[in-house]
Amino acid sequence: MESIQSILEQAREAIAQSSSTSELQSVASRYLGKKGALGQLLRQIGSLPPEQRPQFGQQVNEALSQLARQIAERYEQLAQQELKAQIRAELLDITLPGVPVRPARLHPLTITARQVKQALIGLGFEFVEGPELERFEYNFGALNYPEDHPAMDAQNSFHVGNGWLLRTQTTAIQGRIFEEVQRGERSLPLRIAIIGRCFRYENVDATHSHTFHQVDAFMVDEGVSMAHLKGTLTQFARLMFGPEVRVRFRPDFFPFVEPGVDFAISWKGGWLELGGAGLIHPNILEHYGIDSERYSGFAFGLGIERIPMLQYGVDDLRLFLENDLRFLTQFPVL
Amino acid sequence: MRVPIEWLWDFVQFDLSISDLAERLTMAGLEVEEILETPHGTVLSLYITPNRGDCLSIFGIAREVYALLGESCQPTPLFWRLSEWILNPPPVEPGETAQYARVEVLDPDLCPRYGARVIRGVVIAPSPASVQNRLLAAGMRPISNIVDATNYVMLELGQPLHAFDLDTLSQQTIRVRRARAGECITTLDERTHRLQPDMLMICDAERPVAVAGIMGGAETEVTEKTQNILMESAHFHPRSIRRTSRTLDLSTESSYRFERFVDPNLVVVAQLRVCELIEEWTGVAPVLGMLDVYPQPLPMRMLGVRLRRAEQMLGFPIAPQEAQRVLERLQLQPKLAEEGFEVRVPLFRPDLAREIDLIEELGRILGYERIPESPPTGTTTQGKDSPEGAFAERLRTILLGAGLQEVVSHTLEPENPFQTAGSGVSEQMYQPVALYNPMSEELSFLRFSLLSSLIRTADYNRRRGIRDLHLFEIGRVFALGEQSYYEWLHLGLLMTGQTHEPHWSEKPKPVDFYHLKGVVEYLMRALGMAPRFVPMNGHDPRFHPGRCAYVHDKDDQRLGVLGELHPSLAQTYEFRQRVYLAEFSLNALLHRAVHTVVYRALPIFPPVLRDIAVIVPQAVPVGQLLDTLKEVGGDWLESIQLFDRYVGEHIPEGWHSLAFSLVFRSRERTLTDEEVNERVDQMFHALETRHGALARR
Repeated sequence: MESIQSILEQAREAIAQSSSTSELQSVASRYLGKKGALGQLLRQIGSLPPEQRPQFGQQVNEALSQLARQIAERYEQLAQQELKAQIRAELLDITLPGVPVRPARLHPLTITARQVKQALIGLGFEFVEGPELERFEYNFGALNYPEDHPAMDAQNSFHVGNGWLLRTQTTAIQGRIFEEVQRGERSLPLRIAIIGRCFRYENVDATHSHTFHQVDAFMVDEGVSMAHLKGTLTQFARLMFGPEVRVRFRPDFFPFVEPGVDFAISWKGGWLELGGAGLIHPNILEHYGIDSERYSGFAFGLGIERIPMLQYGVDDLRLFLENDLRFLTQFPVL
Repeated sequence: MRVPIEWLWDFVQFDLSISDLAERLTMAGLEVEEILETPHGTVLSLYITPNRGDCLSIFGIAREVYALLGESCQPTPLFWRLSEWILNPPPVEPGETAQYARVEVLDPDLCPRYGARVIRGVVIAPSPASVQNRLLAAGMRPISNIVDATNYVMLELGQPLHAFDLDTLSQQTIRVRRARAGECITTLDERTHRLQPDMLMICDAERPVAVAGIMGGAETEVTEKTQNILMESAHFHPRSIRRTSRTLDLSTESSYRFERFVDPNLVVVAQLRVCELIEEWTGVAPVLGMLDVYPQPLPMRMLGVRLRRAEQMLGFPIAPQEAQRVLERLQLQPKLAEEGFEVRVPLFRPDLAREIDLIEELGRILGYERIPESPPTGTTTQGKDSPEGAFAERLRTILLGAGLQEVVSHTLEPENPFQTAGSGVSEQMYQPVALYNPMSEELSFLRFSLLSSLIRTADYNRRRGIRDLHLFEIGRVFALGEQSYYEWLHLGLLMTGQTHEPHWSEKPKPVDFYHLKGVVEYLMRALGMAPRFVPMNGHDPRFHPGRCAYVHDKDDQRLGVLGELHPSLAQTYEFRQRVYLAEFSLNALLHRAVHTVVYRALPIFPPVLRDIAVIVPQAVPVGQLLDTLKEVGGDWLESIQLFDRYVGEHIPEGWHSLAFSLVFRSRERTLTDEEVNERVDQMFHALETRHGALARR
């Protein structure tokens, strides 16, 4: 029978010789398992005289636990080395490009429309939709345009026949809303806004297009004044262009408002005209059965494209509807 | 409108610098677009809004300057003399003029007033140099003393005049009447116009000699040989002038003014002024008297303005004295009334029709900088987006998540092959909508489908070397039905090129039908819908006939279409890669989408997983196999994935091998292996008996 001592010596030798955790694991099973060298010794315990058995068993068990401790220590050492080696081996070139995600963005006009909507909804305006292919009557007649008046010259329109045209201004929604008031489907006071596409017979260049977008907002209540218009426009302009922006009114003419103004915002040391505004003409209110002594209203409108042109410095209007991907993917997600 | 400063000084003297004056005018609604330094002096270039025809003259601008500057400017005696004439024109008598000419107004509805004077024995010569200089500064070409005098007075007072060679007028007669069918006239610009019966003409005893208020005729114009003049000064109906001018495509300084209404009192004032100037320049006085046909003189309008109301509308306080001063300086002759003032509106201000117009005048002259910024008071209203707008935002969120780029493209488009069907949402017959007055053929139709827009966008980018496109657009499309026009909000999708950018770790794959279908499935599920893909029975020439489908919801409502661009169209547009397209009715999606969420408790019992494989003829649609599996799998079948499809070795020609991954789970208890195995056997059996599949166990 081999002596415990010599087995221990062989085992220590094997542990020291192990150069990896897996090698060490086979050493461990060679010496520690039931079928290992010490286990074999223990199995021969029956051949000993009964009085020697307890001592022998104790010696083998001591040897087992001694070995187990030594293996564990060695294992810890080797595991550390192996982890270090693994980390060394797994070094990545972090400058290699990452797997690209497709650059999917909103269109810049959508980004602007969102900002405009957010600002006006916050100011209590309800957004509605109106047709782009509109009746002549809503686009002009309902807006107090005298028949065949030069006031329409600035808004030469595309016709499709039968008194239908492509709306030249989103203000065309007003008559439809006032009809709803007249039918009792809406009640006063109201604050309505619309964003949409408009069309004018105009040649295309960097600042003009036959197709563009507008936002229009109007409010009707008792005692609405030019001061309320200025207050609302100032709030709106500050939400869009920053808290320092001021609003200036200059007299202008639009048949559907009286007084009519164009409004400008303070911008880079000067004034920048942004759109038209005024008090809703009493002729319009009265036409829809609204008492113009009791109720008054304001309306304002402006071009949407103008806003990203200012905000992002886009210098050519045509870019918006051309959809060159190199242009569209420039805009950050806002 | 060009205003030479030196000419303006004839009427008002002021100390203001030119740029300060320009600023004041601009802020009062007379926008100075430019201050021009010309060889003929400094000129203001003004934009006059279409309601202010009274400002289309030097004198009209002078009136505004006086109203604005008040005490700080000095009107001249000429200013006061002309103002007085305009407000209270001196009475006129035919005098001796009736011996030399006759005037008959046959259509007074279109010509409410016609005045004529005669000047005999003039010698045609150039006008004085100072006059020529002013005309040049104002942008007109000097011609001769008589013609220049008419232009000079038009620029000065805003009343267009016309000088006829009296001896060329048949029977020295002026007849103002509508044109007769077949009549023609050759105008001063040597264009010959065929006239229509609603056009007002100035005629002699025989023929038209001028297009009323627009341009004179060539045959009766003043020439070097002219000795006797008939000077016309008239008031024409604005709309009639505008229509004729548009129909004949003939727009002049004269028609521009008449369209915007010219004060009928100027008929007389301008005659007095032009003859005064001609006498001054040539020494020839007019024949005494003046013919003036004015059967129904226009009355002056009386109008009241309440001060309290003005303050309420403008939002700032106004002292009665300052209101009175403003109204006086606007020549409105205010009288104190109970709550404010009553004014007499001069005929040159037809834009002042109601109280609110006077309130605007008060605000405009006092200055809008006095308006404070007040937030609206009273009942607050609930701000919100429109249902369509809010839904479009929902779609955008989903589609950005699917990696699609938003585009926004033109409504106007050329005739194109995509005008053959709508989104397939309706079976009705529709026509594309054509413009009656397109700018060009390229812009002659309203888009009928978003697919044409998306294809144009793909084409535009392809020409710039961008071939991988994953796009969506939300926009309106238009159609003409039997009764009326239709306008719908649509959603369009386009995918073409590679699935992703080239990368060292992963080879990009070309986009195929199933990539687009995957996006559509993702979209539908995100909207809470279970999509069904239904073969197209009809023939849609936009799509590859073997690679297109209708998209229905679970109740078989049609929502849209998807498919591969028809190979012949791909050729037309020179696409060398395959293009996949889809289009949906946004309203159909909006109405079928789920708008509320009901929470379902998470499962508490463990799942049982099984993978099964069959071989089956390729002609059997996989959708049918899936339907069978779902049906037989019943409530226990929680999910089913087709995770492998194989064609090739060991599989008969025309067959394929399909492998499904099944998850079984009960909401009541833990399922046993035995009962799941039994269920799987039933599923295999159903695939074998119903679809001729063979199990691969």
